[in-house]
Amino acid sequence: MPDLLLDIKGLETQFKTPEGVVHAVNGVSFGLKEGETLGVVGESGCGKSVTMLSVLGLIPSPPGKVVAGEALFSGQDLLKMTNEEIRHVRGAQIGMIFQDPMTSLNPVLTIGRQLEEPLMLHIGMTKHQAQERAAELLSLVGIPNAKERLNDYPHQYSGGMRQRVMIAMALSCSPQILIADEPTTALDVTIQAQIMELVKRLREELGMSIIWITHDLGVVAGIAHRVAVMYGGYIIEEASVNDLFANPSHPYTLGLLGSLPRVDEVEHGRLFSIEGQPPVLYQKPTACPFAPRCKWVMDRCWKENPMLESISNEHRVACWVDTKTGRSR
Amino acid sequence: MLTYIIRRLMLVPFLLFGVTILIFGMLQFLDPVERASLYVRGDPKANQIDAAIRKYCLDCPIHIQYFNWLVGKVDSTTGEREGGILFGNFGWSKTGSQPVADLIARRFPNTLDLTLWAVAPVILVGIWLGVQAAVHHNGVIDQAARVFSIIGTSFPTFVFGLLMLMFFYANLGWFPPGRLTDEFSRVVGSDEFIRYTTLLTIDSLLNGRFDIFLDALRHMFLPILTLSYISWATFLRVTRSSMLETLRQEYVTTARAKGLSENDVIYKHAQPNAMLPVVTLAGFQIVGLLGGVIITETVFDYPGIGSAAATASAQLDVITVLGFALFNGLILIVANLVVDILYAFVDPRVRLS
Repeated sequence: MPDLLLDIKGLETQFKTPEGVVHAVNGVSFGLKEGETLGVVGESGCGKSVTMLSVLGLIPSPPGKVVAGEALFSGQDLLKMTNEEIRHVRGAQIGMIFQDPMTSLNPVLTIGRQLEEPLMLHIGMTKHQAQERAAELLSLVGIPNAKERLNDYPHQYSGGMRQRVMIAMALSCSPQILIADEPTTALDVTIQAQIMELVKRLREELGMSIIWITHDLGVVAGIAHRVAVMYGGYIIEEASVNDLFANPSHPYTLGLLGSLPRVDEVEHGRLFSIEGQPPVLYQKPTACPFAPRCKWVMDRCWKENPMLESISNEHRVACWVDTKTGRSR
Repeated sequence: MLTYIIRRLMLVPFLLFGVTILIFGMLQFLDPVERASLYVRGDPKANQIDAAIRKYCLDCPIHIQYFNWLVGKVDSTTGEREGGILFGNFGWSKTGSQPVADLIARRFPNTLDLTLWAVAPVILVGIWLGVQAAVHHNGVIDQAARVFSIIGTSFPTFVFGLLMLMFFYANLGWFPPGRLTDEFSRVVGSDEFIRYTTLLTIDSLLNGRFDIFLDALRHMFLPILTLSYISWATFLRVTRSSMLETLRQEYVTTARAKGLSENDVIYKHAQPNAMLPVVTLAGFQIVGLLGGVIITETVFDYPGIGSAAATASAQLDVITVLGFALFNGLILIVANLVVDILYAFVDPRVRLS
């Protein structure tokens, strides 16, 4: 696939902790095409955020370290860039928004100041130009009285509005990629829907690619073209959004989909949940990391960790079991 | 912002009332004869004491005494007001052989002078060290700063002060104790030397005597060094932990994700937030300095308010000690007000709520 905007290959990230080295990301590979929205799904601690932070060199180091892999962005490896080089990618070509809008804006700086910074830094605008542009950006993300509100501080904005500000900030330099790290998780449902609508609209208008990290499959269905499901620092299934919902093939994906509450269900029994806890990996696993929680588990699962294999066009799964038949693949 | 300041100002009278009640309460532990020296100047004779007790009603019910203590009494023959702390009459200092207020007026400028020159090294350097330690968390600078800080915390002031005195004065003869060289003291005492501000360093500059200015600084060097080293430990610790906490915040990651340089991230985004607890600490530190640093002033024979307080306490001069306590209370209230207002400037959440 030559037309990949971002091509991640074999990314591994580890954290040194007092208990030992935690293997957070264990060889993740995926690509992002131009104009595409990729949903990355998985429960907390599966390595979704760490993967994205690693790509942008934002892993706190120490204790974190990217130990292997490459992240090609327009032909250049982001992981090999110096601090100075990657600084001009961050915010300029790849924008990022975070989970909690309450804590991701600086409380002692005005919204205007925080919006103007990347404009002046990456585009070289004067203070005055940046102010004008910041006001435009605020109206673009649907904040009324944008000009006056530039002088306000984050605590004068509601949660939803702050996330709008974060989006405006991430998009201020017209990046080619927007990485959204659970941007709707901390918001109530109505605001979630508004933010998703906003991102969809901006995607049409600005034509950027998006990586949308979430643990909410409903959100993914609404926004993504393609989905990667992560577990224990691995991508365990990857497919187009329709294919994934129609033919979920990894036991974990099946479990996730099974845990969704359904409106069309007649009987309202207890919500399904996957038993057990996601693993914290102190060494690179030699077995399938999902094996302890898997109801299809076979002998082979304890001996070898399955790699991602194509099962049909653009649908890849890392599992020894064919969950349709219950037999070995 | 204005309402915030007004609200804070409205608290001041209550605080002042509280301070006077406390000090007045402590005065009640003295018997009327001892309390009479609030009003009698010099070495009192027996009949003066009786007269004072009668005049200020020192054996009356407490609220009448409190009122007299606050406003004093106007002498019917001379028309002069005697006593009354509201009018600055804090009583007679036995150890100072002068009214307590005069003693404060004479000693406080020296303390103020010391504070003025100590603030920058004590606070700014301490903060700078703390920020460096946090930025290089667990690195060499951080480890060194922590060792340095532990030594500073555990070093008693008088031991450190004496060591400094031994090295820089006894061995090297660079920085003498005291306030001024004798020759300059005479100049300062003479009429040619005009006391514009009563602060020696400022006045010597205003009088065009750069030599006196340098001499004054030379005498203040060791006290400042001692104060600095002991307080750096505190500032370093508070700034370091506050900065580490701030650097973990998500908005710092946001700032990095925007592509800001590490310097901008640290000094423009993180530090202003990390300074909030440090502002409070700095306020208390300045109050501490202004109230007189007893051990440091005593070790270096520096004629500030601290050494006067030490002398007074050693000789059980309760009136002087309580006078100082009252004065200290005033400083604390004013400083607290200033810190609160500064806080509002640093933190928009305080200013705008």
